[in-house]
Amino acid sequence: MVYDLTSLLIQLLSGLSRAMMLFLLASGLSLIFGVMNILNFAHATLWMLAGYLTYTLFQFFTATMGESGWWLLPSTFLATAALFALGCLIEFVLIRRMYDRELPEQLLLTFALILIIGDVIKMIWGVDNLRIYMPIEPMEFFDSFVNPYSFVVIGVGVAVAAGLWWFLHHTRYGKTIRAAVHSREMVSALGIRIGAMYTAVFGLGVAVAAMSAGVFLPIVPIGLGIDMDLIVQCFAVVVIGGFGSILGTFVASIIVGVVYSFSVLIWPDGALAIIFVILVAVLIWRPWGLFGTELRS
Amino acid sequence: MGDRISDHKWSGVLKSMDRREFILSSAAAGILTMTPRFASAGSGEVFRVGVTLPTTGAGANYSVRPIKGLPLIAAQINKRGGLLGKHPIELHFRDTQTKPAAGTREARSLILNEKVQAILGTWSSAVAMGIQEIVHENKILHFAATSNSSKIVNENYTPYTFQFGPNSRMQSAATVVAMKTLIEKKGWKKYVTLGADYEWGRDAQSVFVKELAKASPGIELKKELWFRLGETDFSPYISAVMALKPDFLFGAIAGKDNETFLQQAKAAGLFKRVAYPGVFLPVTELMQQRRTLPRGIIGLNRCPFFANLDNPMMQSYIKTFQDEFGTDDWPDDFACMYFDALNGLDQGAKMAGSVSPDAIKDALKGATIDTCRGRLAFRDCNNQLDAPSYVGEVVDTPDYPFPIFDPKTLVVVKGSDVWLPTCEEVKKLQKKRA
Repeated sequence: MVYDLTSLLIQLLSGLSRAMMLFLLASGLSLIFGVMNILNFAHATLWMLAGYLTYTLFQFFTATMGESGWWLLPSTFLATAALFALGCLIEFVLIRRMYDRELPEQLLLTFALILIIGDVIKMIWGVDNLRIYMPIEPMEFFDSFVNPYSFVVIGVGVAVAAGLWWFLHHTRYGKTIRAAVHSREMVSALGIRIGAMYTAVFGLGVAVAAMSAGVFLPIVPIGLGIDMDLIVQCFAVVVIGGFGSILGTFVASIIVGVVYSFSVLIWPDGALAIIFVILVAVLIWRPWGLFGTELRS
Repeated sequence: MGDRISDHKWSGVLKSMDRREFILSSAAAGILTMTPRFASAGSGEVFRVGVTLPTTGAGANYSVRPIKGLPLIAAQINKRGGLLGKHPIELHFRDTQTKPAAGTREARSLILNEKVQAILGTWSSAVAMGIQEIVHENKILHFAATSNSSKIVNENYTPYTFQFGPNSRMQSAATVVAMKTLIEKKGWKKYVTLGADYEWGRDAQSVFVKELAKASPGIELKKELWFRLGETDFSPYISAVMALKPDFLFGAIAGKDNETFLQQAKAAGLFKRVAYPGVFLPVTELMQQRRTLPRGIIGLNRCPFFANLDNPMMQSYIKTFQDEFGTDDWPDDFACMYFDALNGLDQGAKMAGSVSPDAIKDALKGATIDTCRGRLAFRDCNNQLDAPSYVGEVVDTPDYPFPIFDPKTLVVVKGSDVWLPTCEEVKKLQKKRA
């Protein structure tokens, strides 16, 4: 079947929107592993917790100060700050005891966090799906329609990618973090408190995910179990891009999002399989990922 | 921005069932059912009923009201002394997590540890089919109140399972009945399907496609799209449907996926380009999505209270439910089907004159029972209740703070009009069991 140009452009837009959703979630995961060698299986669960928190803050603002969609901004900011603090706490209390342990033990610990956080969410928010209602109206696009919120998601994704890149390459702290990826002993020998840096990086990784939860809420209802669906895709993105590489995560997100989107259109039965074929190919050809370094492998 | 309001006020009305409440409900059920147990101690043994429902996963939002409603029904039966007036019901709730492995583990635990004699549940046909193997092995009653793959009563049939809702085949065929008129009226020629890639979604889609081909031979299926259960981003599917330019879309989507899809499809303008008739819209969704749900779409329902208000059983259940939870809350389709399941057990015990699972199973085979949808019979070759499907247009009315199906144009399709025509056909599908 031949598709018209408008349809292909809209499919591309859908793919980019999906890509940025994946990037926003996966970038923190990649950052944490790249710097700390910790595979945080609970990353998407912390994202989910941020979504619930953002929802509650949004309800609080609208109930006390009047209804407005703009309350999503302070709600997202506060939830991000809270999750940054929680991330730091988790690193300080739990994760730092796991640095010398084997990977399966790290996974077990973070898996336990998934169960604990899931039950806490159930106790506080219950099992209903929650969402923030915004009357998003479709936007005319040539002779068709698109969801205008896709542009918001893409914009935020690009901004976060640029922000993280600038932070890691153009700030002293970012450069120190990058140095720690290659040699934490050397960074430590220079008198930098590596423990505090790890705490901050873990908090930052979680905070990036938390921020994305606020971005998703107007189009994705949040509910228990959503984390497990997302974490698998996040791992695929991070493995393809290379653990620890923000650029790699960004490019891999675009590959996964766009390939998936066009596969749905052309060969829907194989859409997911194609992603994992790419994953397998990367693992065989470049086990450290497209933009990862062999050092990390 | 004026009409932008949160779901907070509404969520206060539709109060969530958190774990505390879940445990309290379970405990309340136990206490309520144990009161007559002690009052009539010595008169008969307690009848333990396991309730397997998801409180996490894609189907969790459909469990809230059944969990709230079931203890009330058990308490009513226990006020009369329980089953046969002397066997108080004790409810034991378990979370299936909408996962077959967890569901079957919980069912086995209920049978072995809690010694339940019947299991009610669950949402997700894949879970229910796993549970069927265990109930058959242990000769325990299984009332599939909401899971509705047709395989539950056909390919995976066991005489211990009774299905209380219209199965996927019946629902899809009912949609075809309503669709045939629309296709002729609108001159539709091609369509696309989008379904959840698991047991129920595949089954519902395949029956719809086959039945529609028979009813409207000229119609062309352009493409079948499948998504993973729990999908968070439907945008590639929505744009793919629009690119294919069908006249209408048939969706086999339920639970949280349905909510996510409708929200994203509306924002992407899908409903401005493509008609979307036959979407599964239980009362739960009508309430939860009251602001975002596009009006005028044709929905499908299994047990809507608003279509059965003239039924005394439904009236009584609504009153009991609202006395407990307030007049702003309503029992949804799932709460109603669980109501029928527990009352069906009560009636089955009366017919059998016994609480033995085997005796109740034999008594209910082919029997007619009172339900909140009227008097309905079980088909004797597969224990499928002659449950109607409700197809209608989503409209606002002054009577409820959420949309319902337009009572003026509501189509009620009898189960026996759309199930497999003969028992010979059913038996050919049924697997041989030990």
